Amino acid sequence: MAEQAVIVRDLTVRFGDFTAVDRISFEVGRGEIFGFLGANGAGKTTTIRVLCGLLLPSEGFVRVAGTGFEQGDRAIKTKVGYMSQKFTLYNDLTVEENLSFIASLRKLGSNFYVERRKELLEFISFDRSLGTPVRDLPGGTKQQVSLAAALLHDPEVVFLDEPTAGVTPASRNLFWKLIRKLAASGKTVFVTTHYMDEAEQCGRIALMREGRIIALDTPEDLKRSVFPGAVFEFDPKTPLSFAEVAAIEHLDLFTFFEPYGLRFHAAIRDGEDWNRARPELECKFNIRRIKPSLEDVFIKTVEGKKR
Amino acid sequence: MNRTLLGFIRKELTQTLRDKRMRVLLFVVPVIQLTLFGVALSNEVKNIRLVSVFPPGDAVMQKIHDRSIASGWFLPVSTQKVFSDPFELIRSGTADAVLVAPPGGLTRALGRGDAKLQLLLNAMNVIEAQAMESYVSAIVQRTILEDLRLDPPEPSIQVNSRVLFNPGLETAIFMVPATLAMVMIITTMVMTNNAIVREKEMGTFEMLISAPVSPAEVIYGKTIPYVILGMSNFPLILGVAVFVFGVPMRGSLLVLVLAAFAFVCTAVALGTLISTFCKNQQQATLAAFLFLFPMIMFGGLFFPIENMPVSIRWVAYLDPLYHYIGLLRNIMLKGGGHAYVGTHILALGLMALVSVVWSFRRFRTTL
Repeated sequence: MAEQAVIVRDLTVRFGDFTAVDRISFEVGRGEIFGFLGANGAGKTTTIRVLCGLLLPSEGFVRVAGTGFEQGDRAIKTKVGYMSQKFTLYNDLTVEENLSFIASLRKLGSNFYVERRKELLEFISFDRSLGTPVRDLPGGTKQQVSLAAALLHDPEVVFLDEPTAGVTPASRNLFWKLIRKLAASGKTVFVTTHYMDEAEQCGRIALMREGRIIALDTPEDLKRSVFPGAVFEFDPKTPLSFAEVAAIEHLDLFTFFEPYGLRFHAAIRDGEDWNRARPELECKFNIRRIKPSLEDVFIKTVEGKKR
Repeated sequence: MNRTLLGFIRKELTQTLRDKRMRVLLFVVPVIQLTLFGVALSNEVKNIRLVSVFPPGDAVMQKIHDRSIASGWFLPVSTQKVFSDPFELIRSGTADAVLVAPPGGLTRALGRGDAKLQLLLNAMNVIEAQAMESYVSAIVQRTILEDLRLDPPEPSIQVNSRVLFNPGLETAIFMVPATLAMVMIITTMVMTNNAIVREKEMGTFEMLISAPVSPAEVIYGKTIPYVILGMSNFPLILGVAVFVFGVPMRGSLLVLVLAAFAFVCTAVALGTLISTFCKNQQQATLAAFLFLFPMIMFGGLFFPIENMPVSIRWVAYLDPLYHYIGLLRNIMLKGGGHAYVGTHILALGLMALVSVVWSFRRFRTTL
């Protein structure tokens, strides 16, 4: 049986007195799309940097594509691809110059490089001239070329740190098609995101908060475990004042009551109380039972800690 | 050669030469600066307004005055006003220097053997005043020796100075090599420092070290191209120095190029070292200023190091500009003595080595 693509055990990263990552453990299988969710500063980027060999762990065991820090950071760097949240191509160089510089950084043979470049540009459906300065590419295309650059050395595992920040929804869609294609071809994709619709497309997701993983499962199982009871959507018949909303929020009926657009999502605490209170609430709201969204899961576990 | 290093050199040269501002910084700014400084930076004091006060018929005084005007340093003051007090001439700003003959005239005083000539100087600018004083005493000496063929009045010590290597005492010949050095350090050090810090600021640095590169590959990859670029404008500015300002080229061109190369390596290495302390371009620019000013002050460009206290002189010895300016002046004007050239090139090489080693110690391929 092949080893898991990523194995992390009790990983801790400290910067001085600050613990950015606090004894996290998880494994990622080959060909999996693994999502990392969490507020800013939760430790996602720090974890990714460790897994890419860019940051030395303070403690813990890390194994990525069969290598670890005991073989040196460069051993890991050879095996993985990394696309950071900052845009990392040189604007003043052409697409070809950028890719060829990365090929020389990684000491790729020139035949391998030319072959790989052709493959990857086909993969991202790049239809412009190789001599186009990166500066002149639209945002979505730049990001796809960045992905191609991260994949140039044909890594087994690729880490994408907020790859779709700041591009159009259409480009995001296209980019996720590429991610699924990558996973289908056997690559392990490790991705962080702030978009819930993107998180839904991951095989499994880990929720991070204050340096710890507080939940890790498939999107469906996460929803089930975080919201074991029924979840309802409250659609106000007339606009409500803050005071009215606050009054309902503080009823002892709910374990969760959060705005969702103009509506509210609520998880009930107890069936009998709920059945008694429901008729009164139905004067003000259209109430229907829903499946909780990943956003509800995220708010309940990562952000909110009410009740 | 290492494939990574070659890739770096190609990339840095492409990026720098593609940027119009960098091309201007490399090939236009040095020429303009050199020309500007070469013309403007001068220790010579010219256009000194001179009034000589003497009774009519004082032939010696008249000779001294005429010689002064003929020297080109002095301008006669045509004043209709008659000043009873020569001090008033200076105070009112009519003259910069006033020569006052003794009562009865200098000619008669010489005959008596107690010739005393008074010189009043506006010493608001000390350097100017010193220059004026030395001009006047030289002219007086020469008048006495050549025109009057007299033994000079006491003290009868003859100062027989021969000016070597720069017989015309032309400031340009002295100043241009120093300016050349200054121009070179500004472009080279600042360019290198910025090139590294820019990558950190843009985030491309993270991409760079996410590849399995060694610290040596990154450091050499970011320095070698800038040594090439730093040398690329040397022929141009050397040409300006020699052909525009007439600085002689008495030593070997090869030795001069070697000196320039040692200096550029030091400047680039220093730029690299500074960049390891900086996170963004503001810091880099500030740091560059912090280093450039003392470097120029202690470089021997304006103030001779020999006049400084011994302890301060050691600061100058740590200044690459001091060594390079000395080398340029020595090689170009004097022909370059082996011992002198060897010592100072070695000093530059040592500084480059220390900077590189220190950069290595500070550099990590992890964040």
